[in-house]
Amino acid sequence: MIDEADKQHSFWRRWWPYFVVILGGLLVLGVAHDDGLYQTPILSIQSVKKMSSQKQSDQFNNEDQQVEQQLRGVITNGQHKGRQLTIDNTYLKSQATTLGYHTGQKVFLTVHHNHGNLSATISNLKRDTALAFTAWLTVSLLLVLMRFSGLMALTSVIVNGVLFWLAVNWNTNTQGGIVLVIFGGLAIVFAALTLLIVIGFNRQMLMTLLATIGGTALSIIVALVVFALTHERGVYYESMQYVTQLPRPLFLAETILGSLGAVMDESTDIIASLMALKAEKPDISAKQIFKSGRQIGGEIMGPLVNVLFFIFVAETLPLALLFLKNANSWGYTFNMTMSLGVVQSLISGIGIVLTIPLACGITSLMIGGHQSWGRLRH
Amino acid sequence: MGTITALGLLLLICMVVVGGTQGLQAWISLIFNFAALFFAMVLMAFHLSPVLVTLVTGVIVLAMTIFLGGNDSNSTMVAFYASVAVLILLVILIIPIEHWAQIQGFGQEDSEDLEGMSTILGISYLNVAVSTAILSTLGAIAEAAIAIAAGLAEILEQHPKITLKNLQGAGFKVGSQIIGTTFNTLFFGFFGGFLALFIWFAGVHYSLGEILNDKILVGEVLMVLFSMMSVIATIPLTTWAMVASERQARKKFVK
Repeated sequence: MIDEADKQHSFWRRWWPYFVVILGGLLVLGVAHDDGLYQTPILSIQSVKKMSSQKQSDQFNNEDQQVEQQLRGVITNGQHKGRQLTIDNTYLKSQATTLGYHTGQKVFLTVHHNHGNLSATISNLKRDTALAFTAWLTVSLLLVLMRFSGLMALTSVIVNGVLFWLAVNWNTNTQGGIVLVIFGGLAIVFAALTLLIVIGFNRQMLMTLLATIGGTALSIIVALVVFALTHERGVYYESMQYVTQLPRPLFLAETILGSLGAVMDESTDIIASLMALKAEKPDISAKQIFKSGRQIGGEIMGPLVNVLFFIFVAETLPLALLFLKNANSWGYTFNMTMSLGVVQSLISGIGIVLTIPLACGITSLMIGGHQSWGRLRH
Repeated sequence: MGTITALGLLLLICMVVVGGTQGLQAWISLIFNFAALFFAMVLMAFHLSPVLVTLVTGVIVLAMTIFLGGNDSNSTMVAFYASVAVLILLVILIIPIEHWAQIQGFGQEDSEDLEGMSTILGISYLNVAVSTAILSTLGAIAEAAIAIAAGLAEILEQHPKITLKNLQGAGFKVGSQIIGTTFNTLFFGFFGGFLALFIWFAGVHYSLGEILNDKILVGEVLMVLFSMMSVIATIPLTTWAMVASERQARKKFVK
C-alpha cells in the first residue's frame, strides 16, 4: 500500500509541469473561441480585397502608401450572430496609427443601424489569443525547465501583479492624491512578500528586506537632493505619457517601483553569497565579509543597471522615431521622449550601487561574529 | 548643470568608489549602450531596415555589456556566445508573435501625444515594434548569461574534476537561484514604467475585455513575457555552452 502511494507521489513529482502545460494549452484554445463572452460584436474576417493603393506625402517629404481594403466576414457573437458583413478599411502602410487586416483575424465592431440596414466600423483587433498563447509559452518553458523554482517565481509574479492592480484601484479611489504614500508603502509590502516566497522566513530574508528597502529609499532621497540642487533642469514632466494626475509624484512612484526589483535582485544575490561564504568558513571576519560582498556587488551592478536601462529606454523608440520623422531635432526628440527614461535609469543605477555597501554592512554586522570592527583593524 | 548630467556624474562617482575599475567599466558600458541605442534609432529614421539594425546593435551591445562586466575571459566568452544564441532564438519567436498580435505603433491612449503630428512615416511600424521588443530584452539576456557563466566558472575553479553531468546540474541550480529575483526585476521594471497607463485604465473603468485586447497593454505584456522567456532560455543555453567549452578544454588537456 505504502509502496503504491509512493509510486504515485513520485509520478506526480515528475510529470506535474507537463499536466500544467496541457491544461494551459486547452485554456488558450478556449480563449481562441471565447467570442460569446464579449458584449461587443466580433467579426471573423473571411476574405480581404485590396481596392486601391495611393501614394501619400506630408510637408516633411515623408512618403507612404495609403491602402483601401474591403473586408468580408461573419459576426460570431451577440444578437447579430451569423450575419455577413462587408466593411471598408483604409490604412497607411507604415501602420503606426491605422491597421491593415488579413483573412482569419477577428475584430471588434461598432455597429450602426440605419433604416434596418446593418453597417459597422472596426474599433479594435482581438488580441487576447495572441496574449494568452505567449503567456502559456512562457509559463510552459518556465515550469518544464525550472520546475519548482519556476513555480515559485511564477507565484511571486502573480501575487505582485494582483497587489499592483489593487494598489492602482486604491490610487484611483483617492484621486491620485496620495500616490507616493500608496506605492511607497506598497514597495515595502511587495519586497516583503516576494522575499518570503523566494527565500522563506528567516534571518537572511529579514536582512535582504532591510537592504532592499534601504537601497530603494536611499536612491529616491539622493534623486530628490539632486533635483533640488539642479532645479530639475532637463526633466520634462510634460513628456510623460498617459498622465491623468499630477506628474511629479507619479514619476517618483514609477521610479521607486522600477528600481525596487533590481535592488531586491542584487541584495538577494549579495547576501545569499555571503551567507554561503560564512557557512563554508565560519571563522571569517566581519571585515572580510564586507570585502567579499563588495566584490560580488561590483560584478553584478553593471549588468543590472543595463537591464533597467534597456527596459526604460527601448520602449520610447516608436515615439522617438515619430518625432524624428516630424523634422524635430535630435536634442528636442531626446528631451521629449527619452529623457525621463534616462533619468529613471540613472536614479535606479545610483540605488543599485548604493545597495552594495548597505547589504554588505548589514550582513557583516549581523553574521560577522562577536569580534568588533575596531579590534579587527590591523 | 542639468539634472541628467548631475545624476550621470553622481552615478560615475558612486560606481568608481564602490567598484573601482570595474565600476568605471560598468559606467562606460551604460554610456556606450545609450549611444548604441540612439544611433540605432537614427539609422532607422534614415530608413535602414529596423530589424537588421537591431540585430547588429544587439550583438554589439551584448558584447560590450558582457566583456565590460565580467572578469574571467573564458566564462565571459561562453556567456557572449550563449547570449547571441538566445538573441537569435528570440528574434525567431518575436517576429511571428508581433505579426499576430499587431501591437505596433500607437493606441487610442496616445492621441494626445500624436496631436499635430504627421503619421505619414514610410517606416514599417511592425518592424519597429519587433525592434523595440528585442532591444528591451538585451539587458536581461546579458545579465542572466553573465550570472550563469560566472557561477559555473567559480564551481569549476573550486572543483576542477567535477563531471560534465554534474556541471550541467550545477548550471540549472544556479539558474533556479536567480530566476525568482530576475523575474521580479523584469516585472517591476516594466510595470513600474507603465504605472501611468494602469492608472488610466482604472480611472476610465476599462472592462477586462478591453484591457486584454488593448494595443498598448498587450504590447507591454508581450515585452515582459519575451524578456522572461529570454532569461529562461539563457539558463540551459549558457550551461550547455559552458559544458561544451569544458569538454573541449579537457580533450585538449588529455592530448
